[in-house]
Amino acid sequence: MEYALYLGCTIPLKLPHFEYAFREISNYLGLTFKEMEGASCCPDPVATQSVSIDTWLTLAARNLCLGEKLGLDILTICSGCFETLKTAKVLLSEDKAAFDRVNTVLKKIGYEYKGTSNVYHFAELFSQEEYLEKIKKILMNPLDDLNVAVHYGCHLIRPSKILQFDHPERPETIDKIIKALGAKTVAFAGKLECCGFCARLQEEIGFKLVEDKMTELKELEEEVDVMVGVCPACVGQYDRKQRLLSRKTGKELDIPVLYVPELMAIAFGVEKDKLGLTNRSVKPNKLLEKLNI
Amino acid sequence: MTEEEIINAEDLDYNFRYEISEKVGAKSLLKCIQCGVCSSGCTVTEYVDLQPHRVVASCLLGLKDRVLSSNAIWTCSLCHRCTERCPKGVDYSFILALLRNLAVKEGNCPEEYRGTIQTIYDNGYVVPYTGGLATNIDRRRDRFGLPKIVPPDLKEIDIIMNETGIGNLIKKASENKESDK
Ligand code: SF4
Ligand code: SF4
Repeated sequence: MEYALYLGCTIPLKLPHFEYAFREISNYLGLTFKEMEGASCCPDPVATQSVSIDTWLTLAARNLCLGEKLGLDILTICSGCFETLKTAKVLLSEDKAAFDRVNTVLKKIGYEYKGTSNVYHFAELFSQEEYLEKIKKILMNPLDDLNVAVHYGCHLIRPSKILQFDHPERPETIDKIIKALGAKTVAFAGKLECCGFCARLQEEIGFKLVEDKMTELKELEEEVDVMVGVCPACVGQYDRKQRLLSRKTGKELDIPVLYVPELMAIAFGVEKDKLGLTNRSVKPNKLLEKLNI
Repeated sequence: MTEEEIINAEDLDYNFRYEISEKVGAKSLLKCIQCGVCSSGCTVTEYVDLQPHRVVASCLLGLKDRVLSSNAIWTCSLCHRCTERCPKGVDYSFILALLRNLAVKEGNCPEEYRGTIQTIYDNGYVVPYTGGLATNIDRRRDRFGLPKIVPPDLKEIDIIMNETGIGNLIKKASENKESDK
């Protein structure tokens, strides 16, 4: 399958190792891409939407137009991008006045938004039966004995009437992918809690949310080897704040946090040294030892 | 709210509910039955001065100033659980974004958010991508063998921001840069 690849800004500009892992596994899975040259920030669903919903929708529609010009559906690799582009697509299909307003502005830069490209997050794709089967066939290093805590993150699953992604209270897409890699996913009460990254104006909220979730994971009977997410904001939030919290509170919060494609790449046998796995606050040394790679 | 407080009817803005409900995605405001489900599952409920169902009630009552000056509209993490769970289909998190828009129109834009808009205006991205910064980013990408970044035409971003009414928030230092060229 071929998609228009929408990278956003955080991953390509700040976390190229995430993009590398994603492109590697996509290769294995037989996906091909056309690059969306000239795409801008999605734009981010918090600051831009908060300042002006009109600006947010119009900039998003401009990006959607680039996918339409390529004649392809759009694949996102970040939950923030997914939320913005998918919400814009759904709202503009439901609201004719907004659709016209957006197109009046776009006309001034020579674009026309039609609504012909769909928007997907890779988690949606990879959790389909067809891809789960492929994943199982590609496996080089099955992740048997690994206990994985899955973090879904808000902007992937809610509001379900717009994102239409998975069950909003009992999602299973990411769990399916992780299980296809041979690993176990752990059940825990805070699984669907927010990471707090988007409560940007009051950092204590993020600290509290990270501390609650990570403390719960540390207290589980089975030892959690790794937490995974599909959004660079969530992954970064748990990674960085764990270190800061450990220093501040003396608690040992040290669960490594990986972007799902990174764990897939490990399981697919992509050379570990190419993956930039140490580019994070909590180093995954114990995890790599356990995997013996 | 425990303290007794008397608000005069003439201080209420009865049109406020319609100002909100006529907007994209915010029509649902009028359906609220004050059940409180939104507040009970809210991620930031212990940090706000007005809980979600109270913000909705205040909008319906016409307490515009109180709503727009509350910390509740800025504290929310946009986790969308309120919208997900509301039995009446009130899109609270979307209404909240709209309330933020109204506060911004009244000149109350948090500097963090204005800064993000400025960064997008200057770079097309939320991450600065000019000069030495861009060189470093390109070099890191090269090391991973990733394709070249092809940034957006910033003139298009400029036109969209101006035409959608947030031109006043942007410091046009870039205009000077343009004329330097
Ligand atoms: S959950 Fe919905 S109906 Fe209930 S109080 Fe909140 S907004 Fe109103
Ligand atoms: S979106 Fe905001 S108001 Fe709604 S539940 Fe989440 S934090 Fe609370």
